[in-house]
Amino acid sequence: MDLIKKAIAWGSRKSPWVIHFNAGACNGCDIEVVDALTPRFDLERAGVIKQGSPRHADVLIVTGAVTLQVRDRLVQIYEQMPSPKFVIAVGACACSGGIFNGCYCVSGGVNTVIPVDAYVPGCAVRPETLIAAVTKLLDKVEAQTAAADGQLPPGPEAEPTPAPAAAAITDQDGGERHGK
Amino acid sequence: MSVLTALLKILIFPGFLFLSAYALALQFLDRKLYARLQSRQGPPWYQPVADFIKLIGKETLIPAQANQLMFRMLPAFCLAAMAVAFVYIPVWGRGAMFSFEGDMIVVLYFLAVPPLASFLAGWYSRSLFATVGATRTLTQMFAYEVPMFLALLAPTLLSGSWSVSGNMAFYATHPLLVLVNLPALVVTLIVSQCKLERTPFDAPEAETEIVSGPLVEYGGRYLAFFTFSKDCELVVVLSLFTAMFLPFSTGISGVDFLLYLVKTLAVMAVLCLLRATTARLRINQIVAFCWKYLAPTALLQIILNLVLREVFLI
Repeated sequence: MDLIKKAIAWGSRKSPWVIHFNAGACNGCDIEVVDALTPRFDLERAGVIKQGSPRHADVLIVTGAVTLQVRDRLVQIYEQMPSPKFVIAVGACACSGGIFNGCYCVSGGVNTVIPVDAYVPGCAVRPETLIAAVTKLLDKVEAQTAAADGQLPPGPEAEPTPAPAAAAITDQDGGERHGK
Repeated sequence: MSVLTALLKILIFPGFLFLSAYALALQFLDRKLYARLQSRQGPPWYQPVADFIKLIGKETLIPAQANQLMFRMLPAFCLAAMAVAFVYIPVWGRGAMFSFEGDMIVVLYFLAVPPLASFLAGWYSRSLFATVGATRTLTQMFAYEVPMFLALLAPTLLSGSWSVSGNMAFYATHPLLVLVNLPALVVTLIVSQCKLERTPFDAPEAETEIVSGPLVEYGGRYLAFFTFSKDCELVVVLSLFTAMFLPFSTGISGVDFLLYLVKTLAVMAVLCLLRATTARLRINQIVAFCWKYLAPTALLQIILNLVLREVFLI
């Protein structure tokens, strides 16, 4: 059993498939995310493949302060991903809301909607920063998985579920009008 | 042959275990060569294994609206069909593990299973993207099946045997006749790319348009087995291609096995080059291309072979 657990931890470490989601970014961070996936940086060396379907992905890369329009879709996409799954908030806006924090049409950082495993600051982030963040996240994940007693990393499930957070924001901002 | 040796052959070598190992190795080589053609380093050698293990360890999610039974069974169908088809293709030596007159037809029927499984997977997922991908898979199948069958018929017309092993044995005694089949070879090479749904014929899986085609709702171990059986399909198609169109053999089993590896790797390199240098065709362009150019070429080849057979051989 121990060997199987270690093998799965190794597999998760060596093959992170990413999906990229723009939750209302200015496109600056998105261009840098795409840049990190180009042959110049060659992330396939680390096993990274960009997937289109959330069902295939392990890592959700979210850019931008989450707008009320897109919030429900972000939760939906997150819930479509099979565990173990990880979220990386890329850019100042995704980390905290950035300059849009407190804006009438914005939830704030990604962590107001779904649990986040890694924050990558920058406006816009550099591809090197993003690559470093992915590597660090994966090291953490592998250590956690190998150490855990027969269960996959606590990660997202251990933290508060997204639904209450989303509901709270709906009340606060009167999101019925904007959200639906 | 005793039951035990037969089982060993089917399950271990040159059967299922060899097929699995070679499928993963070919996936790595394909990705590595693709990466080198794009001036990058590409994945490490263990990448297909890591992908497979990771997918096995993931949570299994099946959409509520999907047909549970079909959703679970289709990857197994796909993999089983490939494992059975591989039994009739010569790998170790000139003859396959098992052969009978007409086993080429059986192989072709089993090769029709992966696209059908893919179609049903998309259909039973009840997702919009999956349904679009599924109909494209089926449309593409109708485009390439006819040229593929016609082109594969051509070498058997000369050899007079509808068995892959029998075909191999005939061309071992008449090696120069292989040159006659060159047009059919080219047709089958292109059609193989189309059958394997690789660029430029990857409209069913077009990830920039329809996310990832029929398999969009698949995840975890079902996705692992589906992608794995697609890799096995690559091995089976390459093996069939080399057995039918490059049937050079020495008669010594070990040397023939090495020859088999060299031939399949060479064909794989050509398919990879095709994948790296082309862009995706639309589905209507694929159908038009297959029916306007590939099918008539294969037909001409068949006429040529029939004439040659009447005049020279029999």
